[in-house]
Amino acid sequence: MADPILVVIFLRGGADALNIISPSADPDYIAARPELLRVMRKGDGQGIALGDRGLAAGMADLDFRLHPVAQELGQLFHAGDLSFLHATGLREATRSHFDAEARIERAATGAAAGGWLGRWLNHVQPGGQLPALAVGTTLPESLRGSRAAVAPQFNELMLAPGNWLAPALRARLSAGFGTHDLLGATTQDILALSQMLQDRYWLADAGDIRPYVPDVEYPGDAQLSGPMMTVAQAIKADMGLRVATVDYGGWDTHAHQADQFPVLLGELSRTLLAFWRDLGPHQQNVSVVVQSEFGRRLRSNDSGGTDHGRAGAMMVLGPQARGGRLLGLWPGLNNGALEEGADLAVTTDYRDVLAEVLVNHMGLTDPGLVFPGLTAAPLGLFG
Amino acid sequence: MMLNRREFLVSALLAAVLLPRSASATPQPVNPSEVLLNRLTFGATPEARAALAELGVQGWLEDQLARPARDPELDARLASFQLRISYEAEDDGNGFAWSGLDEMRPLQWLNADPASVLPLIDWERPISYIERVRPGDEVMAASLTRAVHAPAQLREVMTQFWHDHFNVHAQKDEFVAVFFPAYDATLREHALGNFRTLLGAMAKSPSMLTYLNNAESIASPANENFARELLELHTLGAGNYLNEFYNRWSEVPGAAEGLAQGYIDEDVYEVARAFTGWTVGDGRYVDEGLETPRTGLFAYIDSWHDPYQKRVLGVEMPPNRAPMADGEQVLDILAAHPGTARFICTKLARRLVADTPDAGLVDRLTALFLETVTAPDQIAQLIRMIVADPSFAAPPSKIRRPFEYLAAIYRASGVKVISPEMAFHWQLTRAGWHQHTFPPPTGHPDTLEDWNTGALLLRYVDYALAAHDEWFGNTTSRLSGRIPEDVTTFGQLVKFWTNRLHGSNTDGADAFLASLDIAPDDLLPTDETERHDYSAVAVAFAALSPQFMFR
Repeated sequence: MADPILVVIFLRGGADALNIISPSADPDYIAARPELLRVMRKGDGQGIALGDRGLAAGMADLDFRLHPVAQELGQLFHAGDLSFLHATGLREATRSHFDAEARIERAATGAAAGGWLGRWLNHVQPGGQLPALAVGTTLPESLRGSRAAVAPQFNELMLAPGNWLAPALRARLSAGFGTHDLLGATTQDILALSQMLQDRYWLADAGDIRPYVPDVEYPGDAQLSGPMMTVAQAIKADMGLRVATVDYGGWDTHAHQADQFPVLLGELSRTLLAFWRDLGPHQQNVSVVVQSEFGRRLRSNDSGGTDHGRAGAMMVLGPQARGGRLLGLWPGLNNGALEEGADLAVTTDYRDVLAEVLVNHMGLTDPGLVFPGLTAAPLGLFG
Repeated sequence: MMLNRREFLVSALLAAVLLPRSASATPQPVNPSEVLLNRLTFGATPEARAALAELGVQGWLEDQLARPARDPELDARLASFQLRISYEAEDDGNGFAWSGLDEMRPLQWLNADPASVLPLIDWERPISYIERVRPGDEVMAASLTRAVHAPAQLREVMTQFWHDHFNVHAQKDEFVAVFFPAYDATLREHALGNFRTLLGAMAKSPSMLTYLNNAESIASPANENFARELLELHTLGAGNYLNEFYNRWSEVPGAAEGLAQGYIDEDVYEVARAFTGWTVGDGRYVDEGLETPRTGLFAYIDSWHDPYQKRVLGVEMPPNRAPMADGEQVLDILAAHPGTARFICTKLARRLVADTPDAGLVDRLTALFLETVTAPDQIAQLIRMIVADPSFAAPPSKIRRPFEYLAAIYRASGVKVISPEMAFHWQLTRAGWHQHTFPPPTGHPDTLEDWNTGALLLRYVDYALAAHDEWFGNTTSRLSGRIPEDVTTFGQLVKFWTNRLHGSNTDGADAFLASLDIAPDDLLPTDETERHDYSAVAVAFAALSPQFMFR
């Protein structure tokens, strides 16, 4: 098997896990939310039943269902490729986007530098031309400390391709910034990477970049399609990719959640399936983790939305994990079980999930190297 | 010994002259005038250099601080501005129909009466969504022209600072968009004024009320979006989020003495309650036969307000107070809070000086902020202190962010920026800069760590070439048309653009030209097309230098 690859999709804004994977028969859930903001057992908007495989004690009676727009996630789940983990999150109570994202992505306090993926990369020191790619325009905190490439598409990593001045500009950047105390490493990396990509993808005769042709069609209207195609391209390009991150924003549904949320989740569902099929045989090497900074409040507010909550849910997609299961310890939604009387309580440290993926999929021997101080408690994702 | 500003500059100049010459080309000698202009404007220009030389630092700074929010020359420039509008015809068969169009149209909403935008959000009227959100597009399109041409450069720099601090996504929906010109004007009006006044204007801005959902916050439960960002982003900052005390408010340091040093989630909930009923006067439905007034301004609906007692940062508020008293008191507490003072002053010094500003300067700014809480020129006083501080003359270490980089090229080259297609907006998003459309409420980040990617350098290559070749359709004349007649060789051309862009040396120019098989003494081509193509060589050389990329 080729080197394993980890893809992390971060749902920015705090995805409402209680509207993605829902205890549809739980009377506390039904009492707390209007129909528009929960998954139904019956009728037109009936949710996708998950069955009771992998459920912890007490969960089976609650009839956990997926939101009906997430048909493709249901397919992946029932095919045994996708697992859900519920009531996951930060141990420290924070309901701030900034604070929660920083804590989750740094995943360490004190002296440990950078983000958790950055620490993994620095530990493993993978060779290859493109070991890490952040799809987008900014380096996420999880990759801080690493020298990951950052771009929404390959062509954004090329230096003025086709321009007669390009060789001189390359020399100019190298002379001006190659030893610059602030930008030196960045400059050297991008000059090498852009040259390599241009050699491979720039069609001098056509004056254009060889486009990526996916093996399946991605949903044309989904904002996530472009980024996931870039990841698929990078995986297939055989340039030594080990880690890729994708940010998917818009989940901060304080108002009119019923209008926005199904669109976001539907796009995630359709794009993830397209991506997975596009990978074809490369699936064997890939795990995808989907996470968010927190879940949302059990009770909705008076403007048809939900405010910042605590526990959320995670997804792990990949053949190495034993999929088709809903894992985690369900704390319940009655008032006494809620964290601070308001939110789904965190019963699984998100780092336990990430550590299990790093150990079992990425071959990390000591999770403490990436998550200092964590006493790992595997959930049995791979067991 | 405290030197006054002029003495300090002289001493800094002498120090630079007296320093032993380093063997390497870097670090470059620091020119205090260039540093000052590049920190307080969108980039040095020959005109700005001349004004600074004539007025001196004090005089130049006071001139900038005194300039009003509206400038007749800039207004005239914007009034002559045409921005394309284009959409398809629509007809749903039920009277919801309009014809398509594609035309150049003047900016009509920048200074419009607030109530005049309300027809744009009337969904009974059959008009294209492109028409509805046009006011926001006009502000976005005008922003580059303002950055390049505003005579009140310092005010413009600070307006952009506050845009990022009080971030609003102009294209979030049609409500934010129609009120966005008023929001932009409000920031510009108070950019150098009093923080409490600015904070209050933001809390009552229809764009902000919509963007952070407070316009729909009705008791009960209240919508917490605005309340949380008010504390985390607008005032105290995430560093003062002390949620380890989540349900033990009395244990938060300071609470027992009457003012908590930081906030916890309970404060978010209470602040959200305090702002229930703060909404928009756009005729929205309140109750049977009752709607908000159609003013296009802030409106308060008492029946939406949660009137009962509250406790914010340890301060008790009695129940059933006068309209808006709860929210106003929250803003009073926050605007005078030491945590807010330190958070704002740190950000300000980070923006105008360095990513990690001098701790002593931040301490002094924080003290000044708290002494001037009611001063109408509070922010101007902070800027004066920053400019007078020795750390202000440190070598440039701030990377120009994408909008600043593009604006600086245009300012230095002296072209007129009109951006009739607003193509620059999309070009900037390629580098992670979303001018007035940054989706999360944090606004654009402001440290090198946030921007230090290889792709950013490649975009700056693109911007330098595009600015030269006019790919964006942003200007009325090409850069190659600005070469003076006495510039006849490549060596002179490199010197000319280097002088225009950063006024520093041309180290490395000979090797750069040699890599294109050009000698410094080679004559420029006389053929206009060829001359244009080759002039890109010199612009790129000057623009892709540490001296130009850092401020």
